Amino acid sequence: MELLNNLGMGLGVALSATNVFYCFLGALLGTLVGVIPGIGVLTAISMLFPLTFTLGPTTALIMLGGIWYGTTYGGSTASILLNIPGTPANAVTCLDGYPMAQQGRGGVALFMTTVASFFGASVGVILLMLFSPVIAGYALKFGSAEYFSLMLMGLVAASTISEGSAVKGLAMVALGICFGLVGMDTQSASARFTFGSLGLLDGISLIALAMGVFGVAEVIMSIRRVNATAIDRESVSLRAIKPTRDDMRRSWFPMIRGASMGSFFGTLPGTGPSIAAFLSYAVEKRIAKEPERFGKGAIEGIMAPEAANNAADQTAFIPTLSLGVPGSATMALMLGALMIHGIAPGPTLITSQPELFWGLIMSFWVGNVILLILNIPLIGIWVRMLLIPYHILFPAVLLFICIGAYSTTFNALTVWQVFFFGAVGYAMRIFGFPGAPLLLGFVLGPLMEEHFRRAMVLSRGSFATFFERPVSGTIMAITGAILIWGVWTSYKLSKRREVYAQDV
Amino acid sequence: MMGRVNKDTVGGLVLLAVGAWFAIYAAMHYPLGSLRRMGPGMFPMGMGIAVAGLGLLVALQSLLREVEKADIRFWSPLFVLSGIAGFAILMPLFGLIPALLAVTIISSLAELKLRPVSLALLCLGLSLLAPFVFRICLGLQMAMFNWPF
Repeated sequence: MELLNNLGMGLGVALSATNVFYCFLGALLGTLVGVIPGIGVLTAISMLFPLTFTLGPTTALIMLGGIWYGTTYGGSTASILLNIPGTPANAVTCLDGYPMAQQGRGGVALFMTTVASFFGASVGVILLMLFSPVIAGYALKFGSAEYFSLMLMGLVAASTISEGSAVKGLAMVALGICFGLVGMDTQSASARFTFGSLGLLDGISLIALAMGVFGVAEVIMSIRRVNATAIDRESVSLRAIKPTRDDMRRSWFPMIRGASMGSFFGTLPGTGPSIAAFLSYAVEKRIAKEPERFGKGAIEGIMAPEAANNAADQTAFIPTLSLGVPGSATMALMLGALMIHGIAPGPTLITSQPELFWGLIMSFWVGNVILLILNIPLIGIWVRMLLIPYHILFPAVLLFICIGAYSTTFNALTVWQVFFFGAVGYAMRIFGFPGAPLLLGFVLGPLMEEHFRRAMVLSRGSFATFFERPVSGTIMAITGAILIWGVWTSYKLSKRREVYAQDV
Repeated sequence: MMGRVNKDTVGGLVLLAVGAWFAIYAAMHYPLGSLRRMGPGMFPMGMGIAVAGLGLLVALQSLLREVEKADIRFWSPLFVLSGIAGFAILMPLFGLIPALLAVTIISSLAELKLRPVSLALLCLGLSLLAPFVFRICLGLQMAMFNWPF
């Protein structure tokens, strides 16, 4: 069977000593970053991105992937012990996780969320293995018009569904595309918006943009707001992690429901792990026989969301790897990592880079097993990490951002770009504009322009091509529907939506 | 600090200006071509117009509904960004260690919890850690100290 052959090959790639090491490193760093409030996934990935430059593309992606799902594992620790979500995707885990910790059952909560995380991730990876090749095979027939429509749909969905205001999200997408257009135009070889700077010919640095808009802006926002708090050390001693029979019995179905919902929402652009976790919590509460237990340490209330967000972490790779259309800012960075290594994203990726694709997928198993093993014995260390005061941490974070940016080009211009996007990112935060659509637009902008221009050449200058071709037309119709729905709900829910934290 | 102006009005108008500038700059400096054969200026002009139009929409929306006022802090961004600027200036001239001290010391001013002694210890720790990670583990060729004159 072809799938088994591919899996075998992928496992071989994932189990090579180098890849296991970087998978371990990524998962470890991801957990660490997930535990520490004030450093998000995007900050972590953009900060550690330069480290992967010296690696091969497969190893680089394996490590970045490890950071991505590692943060979700680690984020639950901060949620349960401190009532501070380490990442937005773990926010809902606070609701029942923290009461459990207060009741002296923090160890049980940590252990069970690790199990739920592993279960959710496993479901997600299995779906990723089964569906990506199918979707990619179908997408191979796409022409430029279809690609353009698809990317447009991804951007519209990502900017209108998850964030507060649909119009603001769209504006950020457009602005991101504009930033993406800086540099050499590949078709006419003319320099655009470089103002005579040779350094800008290669375009704005993706890393500088991500570090500035997410890392630097996040540091500025967290200063004087994030503080280390007291932790009840007793509750996390390893004696207290053994779940009762009742805990086990209550956990099965929430875990399965959470994983299914997470898998579904992970694949859609704009609805990532955070929304999946929120919705699965809401579902558990609704169908529970005793909904009044929720918020007071109900184990169902941590199992479902933790299974959901980890499943979503994995299925988010489906559109990214099979279509080349990332649904979230983190996935855009993954795509950026591919492009920096000279690999064109899209449906041909699976057939042209089978080692990379299957190796990456099998590394998810390796990484999740590592996390499953690591998380429990290392809880003591994570708790100590939480005690590092932020005022010691943030200068170090800034330093690593600066050195990281500098090391990508050995040109101070890249650090100045971090400076510029740090200022832009801070302005965006205070004016309430979301950062994720900006990054998505930035990554997809040049690809969109290329496909748009090619489609227009083929259609002899007629816009109708995007609507007349059946596949492209269907995608455009869906895009229109998402747009109308997004604008409508953003009016209707403008207050309630703020509950959903930004999905990064 | 923002007076009675709400943050969406300001944000929207800034986007309007940026988008308009982007579109006009593209149209004036790069050939637009035709719809059939687009030049390098066409797509940027279109995107600039999109930014400007969406910015205008954000600003108009803000007039219709109550939007909270911006919470602007001046000192945190100033020190953090100055620290980065310090690194960018010192790194190519004087090397890693001076640049490292600049970003650490300047940015730590944003939160005045750090006493001089612990700041010195932090600087020392980072001066040892950063060369170790980047020079030894990653093998990046970066000068530690430099005297350009």
